[in-house]
Amino acid sequence: MLTKLEIKSTRDTPFVLFDPENNVFEINGNSLPENTNHFFDPILAWIDNYIKTPNKTTHLICDFEYFNSSSAKMIYNIFLELEKINESKNKIHVTWYYEIGDDLIEEKGLEYKSILNIPFVLKKK
Amino acid sequence: MEAMNIDTTFWFFDRISEDNLCLLYNGSFSDEITNKLIELSEYNIHNNVSLKKMKKKASFLMAECFQNIVRHGENIDGQEIDYVDEGFFLTKNWQGIYYITSGNLVENNKISELKRQLEKVNSLSKDELKLLYREVLANQEISDKGGAGLGLIEMARKSGQKLDYFFQNFDDQFSFFYNQIVLKSMEEVFSPNDESPFELKEAIEYHQKMTESNILVIHKGDFSQDAIFPVLKIIEENLQKEKKGAVSKKKIFHILVELLQNISKHCYVENNKKEGIFMIGESEGYFVINTGNLIQNEYVDDLKDHLDKINNLNGKELKDLYLDKLRERNLPKKEGAGIGLIDIARRIISPVNYSILRIDSKKSFLTINVIA
Repeated sequence: MLTKLEIKSTRDTPFVLFDPENNVFEINGNSLPENTNHFFDPILAWIDNYIKTPNKTTHLICDFEYFNSSSAKMIYNIFLELEKINESKNKIHVTWYYEIGDDLIEEKGLEYKSILNIPFVLKKK
Repeated sequence: MEAMNIDTTFWFFDRISEDNLCLLYNGSFSDEITNKLIELSEYNIHNNVSLKKMKKKASFLMAECFQNIVRHGENIDGQEIDYVDEGFFLTKNWQGIYYITSGNLVENNKISELKRQLEKVNSLSKDELKLLYREVLANQEISDKGGAGLGLIEMARKSGQKLDYFFQNFDDQFSFFYNQIVLKSMEEVFSPNDESPFELKEAIEYHQKMTESNILVIHKGDFSQDAIFPVLKIIEENLQKEKKGAVSKKKIFHILVELLQNISKHCYVENNKKEGIFMIGESEGYFVINTGNLIQNEYVDDLKDHLDKINNLNGKELKDLYLDKLRERNLPKKEGAGIGLIDIARRIISPVNYSILRIDSKKSFLTINVIA
């Protein structure tokens, strides 16, 4: 099994935990790094490996405080990679958390939901 | 109150365009905000070879200014007054000279005592100041607010100059107490006999203009991530005090991040620096944000096309364009700004106003103005 990916949060990058063994997939916090590729490329590479032999069910939890528009693109790329799990018998679904009244994060979630082929649930915190 | 308009922007741009760096702040002074103002100033100093040597001294003097602002400002005589923690702060580097100016409200009935202390400090020699410092340390009665006396002595000692100050009447109860320190990067201190090209009265004029036009922050300098962060925090702290809902705060924050990171990512880099000017103020309940920075001429046409295009789209069309850009794979690197500007356009009440002025064969100056 693929070793887990764990990235501690910083002032401008989110906490990431992709742990296949315990079946925990979580990303939360702020994302506004100066160089988005530098932060997200290793995550995308990890996912690229993971989707070759994914868990039966992958449940990704997203709980963002804030992300900038170049991160928005990278987050979309993460979803797009994970979407490929659908092509096998395995399943992927996403829960997108937002604070009550946080229109920005709610709206971003609704937008992803509208353009992805993944079961995508928005939840108020 | 007069709205912050484009004339105000140019009034400041004209005056600070020659500065290597300039930070102007007109707002409330919490510990968080003063920490970030110091962090930003230290970052600016650190990045300037000619200033590096005086980093420690400048930091100390800034902290001392804030101590004065906070100590004199807070909860005067137990009364709850909204504006007592409001103040003004300026740091400016111009041709190797570094200025630190602060302004804070003091009660009118305390002015004469404060003046007496200032004059006393100014009348003493270096050695006499040292003696007075020890005396005050041993005898806490000098000021009922505790540190004011010591603070003034320390400022005079560390800066090695007479304290340059001015009292400007504010209302029946308060006056602004302004104080300016001038540091020269080459010599240890600025000699009191030298003419200072930037006088305290000019700093006071900046403050008055900022107050009239409701401007919170003006920053000219480097716009790397390390400089953007303190700016964001300072504004975020001020937004917390606003009566606006969380929606609006997040929206303003988002627009700021996008605009400031656009400078950082796309500006014309000179001497390894990502320089720009940024200004935020309020007008009729809305936030007005202006940025200015150099860009390479080769990006001008595409940027114009892009901005003209998004300025002609309605909300629905902007959303569709945003989603299209989100789905596009392998965007060319420089197009990163595209999606950010679209997302800004979706959240503002004005168009993305812009002007592009050709400087020379390589670069142009881009200004962007939005109201949200």
